[in-house]
This record gives sequence, C-alpha cells and structure tokens, in this order.
Amino acid sequence: MSAGIVLVVVMFACSLIGTEPISLKAALLKTDAPSTVNPDHEILIRVRLPRIILAAIVGAALASSGVAFQALLHNPLADPYILGISSGAGLGAIIAVLSGFSWTIWGRSPIAIFAFAGAVGTTWLVWFIGRSTKKFQMTGLLLAGVVVNAFFSALIMFLTSIAKSEDVHATIFWLMGNMMEEDFFVLWIGAGCIFAAIVALFYISPQLNVLSFGEDDARNIGININRTRTVAFAVAALATAIAVSLSGLIGFVGLIVPHGVRLVFGPDHRQLFPLTAIVGAIFLVTADTVARIIVAPAQLPVGIVTAIVGGPFFLILLVRHSKKAIW
Amino acid sequence: MNKWWWLLSMFLCWIGAGFAISNARNSKTQCYTPLPNQPNRIVSLAPNLTEILFALGLDTKTVGVTTDSDYPPVATKKIKVGTFWQPNIEAVIAAKPDLVITLEINQQINLAERLRRIGYTCLELKIEKVNDLFKAIATIGDATDRQNEANNLASDIQKKLYSLQQLFNASDRIKVLWVVQREPLRVAGRDTFVNEMIELAGGENAIGPTIHKYPPIGAEQVIACQADVIIEPAMSQNLPTQHQGALKYWSKFESVPAVLNKRIYVIEADTVSRLGPRLYEGVETITKCLRPELFPN
Repeated sequence: MSAGIVLVVVMFACSLIGTEPISLKAALLKTDAPSTVNPDHEILIRVRLPRIILAAIVGAALASSGVAFQALLHNPLADPYILGISSGAGLGAIIAVLSGFSWTIWGRSPIAIFAFAGAVGTTWLVWFIGRSTKKFQMTGLLLAGVVVNAFFSALIMFLTSIAKSEDVHATIFWLMGNMMEEDFFVLWIGAGCIFAAIVALFYISPQLNVLSFGEDDARNIGININRTRTVAFAVAALATAIAVSLSGLIGFVGLIVPHGVRLVFGPDHRQLFPLTAIVGAIFLVTADTVARIIVAPAQLPVGIVTAIVGGPFFLILLVRHSKKAIW
Repeated sequence: MNKWWWLLSMFLCWIGAGFAISNARNSKTQCYTPLPNQPNRIVSLAPNLTEILFALGLDTKTVGVTTDSDYPPVATKKIKVGTFWQPNIEAVIAAKPDLVITLEINQQINLAERLRRIGYTCLELKIEKVNDLFKAIATIGDATDRQNEANNLASDIQKKLYSLQQLFNASDRIKVLWVVQREPLRVAGRDTFVNEMIELAGGENAIGPTIHKYPPIGAEQVIACQADVIIEPAMSQNLPTQHQGALKYWSKFESVPAVLNKRIYVIEADTVSRLGPRLYEGVETITKCLRPELFPN
C-alpha cells in the first residue's frame, strides 16, 4: 500500500522535472480558446505525463515477468529476455523499419506490431523446442532460448549491415529502449493488459512458491506442475512482449528489480509480484526522467540509464543483504 | 465465481471502455491544422533546413534549431531543440512554433506525427538528391510566403553551377573515390547526393553501382577502381592532421593513379556533407580538387 503511494509521489515529482521548466499553475489553468497556445499545459499533460505513465507500465511489466522467469527456470540469471524474446522482437522491429511500412493499427506503428509478433513467435518457438526435449525440460528451454537468441541476433546484425544508415539509426535507438509519449488509448490498453498479467501471476504465486522448493515436493503436495508452468510462462511472455512493443528493448529492469526486492523483502511470491511491479515502475520512471534530462536538449535511450544506474545499485544491495538471500 | 473468470471479465470491460472512450474522443477532434499563411515562429529540425530558412531571409522568424545547425554562425544563437537524430519534443513545444519543418527520416517523421497529434503544424521535406533540394526550397518558399526569394535562391544556385561547368570539358571525366571513413573503409556509392555533386564538378564515381548507399569496400576494390583523385571530407579543425593520416594510409596503394600522382585531398566537410543552399560552394570545392589548373590561386 505504502509502496503504491511512493509510486504516485515519484510519478508526480518526475512530471515536474524536465528539460523545459514548466509552471504547474500555468499548466493546469487551461484556456479553452484554441488560439491561445499554452505550452506549459501541452508539455505536462500531452508529453510528459503520458511518457511517465508508459514508463510505469513497462517497468511493472518487465519486473514482474522477471520474477516469473526466475521462478520458472530456477535460475538467478533469468530475465524476461532470456528466452529470446528480445532478439525476436528486435528482428521484427528491424524488418518493419526496412520494409518502410507506414500504416498504423489502433495507433501502433509497424515497428510495435512486428516487434510484438516477433516476440510472441520466438517465445512459442523456444517453448516448442524446449518441450520436445522432455526430460530436462527447463535446461532444454534455456538452451533453446540462448541458441535462438544468438541466431536471431546474427540475423539482426546481417540486416543492419545491409540497411541504409538512417534506418540503422532508427533501429539502434529502438534496440536501446526508446520511450516516447503515447496516445491515451495505447496507454489505457497497455495498462489493462499489464495489470491483468500481474494479477494472474499473483493468483498462481502460491504454486510458484512450492515449485521453488523443487518439482518433487510440488508434485507430492498435488500441484499440477505443467499447468502452473504453462500459465506463468505464457503470462510473463505476453507481458514482456507488450512491454517491448511499447518501448523497445529496455534491459536490466527485469533482472535487478526482482533480485533487489527479493534481497530486501524475502522470496515469498505472493508479496514479490505486487512489490516488484511497483518497484519496477518506480525504477523505470526515475531512470526515464534521468534519460530525458541528462544530455539536454537531446535525450538518451532509457536502456543506457537503467544499466548504468541499475548495475552499481544492485551490487550494493547484493553485498548488504546477501546473508539472508535465498534464490 | 471463479477468480479467473472474474479477472477475464474485468479485463474485457476495461478494453471495451478503452475503445468507447477513444471513439468518443476521435469524433470530437478535428482534422490536422492547415499551414498558416504567414508563419512567424518556425522551428527547423535539420542543419540544411536552417540554412534554407536563413537564405530565404527568415532568420528573425526562425525560433528554434537543432544543436548541429552551425551555419550561418548566427544560427547557433537560436534556441536549441535537440539534435538532428534525437529532437526533444518538449523543447519544440516550449519554442511555441506555428510551423515545424522536418526531414523525411524515421525519427523526424515520428516526431512530426506526435506534434500533429497535439495540434502543431508540421512540414515534412525529403532532401536526398539535388533535385529534392530545389523542390524543398520552393516548398518552404510557398509555406512561408517567400516565393520570390525562393525562386531567386534556386535560380542563383543553378546559374552559378552552369557558369562553373562552362570552364571545363565535361566529356573528360575524372574518376573520384569519395572516402567517408577510413577504418573500416567506407566510400560514397552511386545513389547519393555526393555522387551528383561529383558529377556536377565534372567527375565520375570510381565505385560502380552497389547495394549500400555508402558501401564498405576492401583493398581489392580500391586497387580495381583506379581512382584519379581521392577525396576525404573532414571537420575544419582537424584538416591538417587528417591530411597527414590520409597520405600515410593511402601510400600502401601505389598502383592507384591518385596515390601515384599525389592527388589525395582532404576538404572541409561542411559544404559537401549537407545538401543545402551552399550546394554551389560544395561543387566548387570539389572542382578545385579535380581541376586545380582552373583555379590558379
């Protein structure tokens, strides 16, 4: 509860920080006459606020799917991108850029739609290959993910090397995480999907708790392991795919936020899902605010900030709290 | 009711509400605002667009430029609205523009769409070839009510180019290798405006048609292309050092006529790397490299 209040306070504070100083009073006193321009209002309401809401949605999605993947794969190195979602989405995005399409569906550009399709397609492919290895399912899944990732990365490199330089530029920004303000409708739908995904993950968190003690224990208690895994996997993958299609590839959030929260608050998934979602949102909103202002008047891709700020911060947490950590 | 059904129905309600609200909003918002008759606050998002605006005498009406707009020098005093690749939408809005001029490249098309959604007027221009430049000058002239100035500017450039071409025999083509970057080696291909500038200067690209606009090439192609002249554009502050480096680098290709006859030039990148109203100055610089005998000074 208090974490939610912190999120709202952070979002409000960040909306007042930016390259252009704005006055809150001027922004809220909107005159309806179309001739009088009110840049304060437009910057705050039409540019900054949508972007901050987007950052919160994406941060929550990546962080909570990170928790799910770490629980599923029994691997502390797992993050939302480990099973090839990132390279699949990246490949989709670069194909969209190269093809030069210019239509939109529900306000989404071809890049977003191709990235989403690429992410979902890759996840399905990895899941399919991983399933067919049967006995060592999770190891098979991981290996399939790593190899598919490497293969698609090679395709991305190939396409960038034959592409026009301005197209390459556009793709590189996307690959490093490119936040921008989105239409109200996109934010509404995105928020709905991500919130539903977090609630779904919360529903199965007791089963994930048992699963983290080992498959045999879980089976003895009478938990349907395959169903739990399939649900967690599908929900986390979809949430990641949506996040990626909204803002490009933002690394690190899905790795360090779950670990940070786990180190500080303990490994209970019932508590972990809501908390990581909120902390992930706070983290990405803050990182994006830094990205907006640090090289003003230009902007940094937010993925750079998450890595630079997140890496050292996580190491400090690791040293301080590692005594009570259980992965 | 099962908690999963409850979640699903809430989710569907939320999505449905989203469609309903956005339909209601869409029917309210009107179409894009048309171009103003006489824009008074113009923001330019590319250095060559800034040069066109200043050449048309719109210097006082230009309120925002990108950080790389450094010509004419007074342009650097204008408000900065981000870089060419990463324009900052907040800074553009804060400049209170009534016309935003952008290039037709991915990032800028995207910015123009976002600005239109809020209600700003944007003009997108494609300037990739010499012909595009003249069209762009005319379009900006129309949009800013400077048709005469635009006509004069375009015809002035064309006249100067024409008189330059009278100085030499155009059928005698000199093969030029245009080096964009040395390590790894990258040169200008045929499908570029640099290629057009080389041809206007009475030269010919030593590299044949390629897939890339600026193809990376190997030592083999360098030797095979038998360039008569090698040109490297560089920033003005490091011209001497780059010239030293160029002589050293190219000395290993002794069989290339340009190296043999010591015809390796490092020129200022300013006028030859952006397609703007200083097109003639750029072509003249190239002509000086190709036919130094025409310019005794």
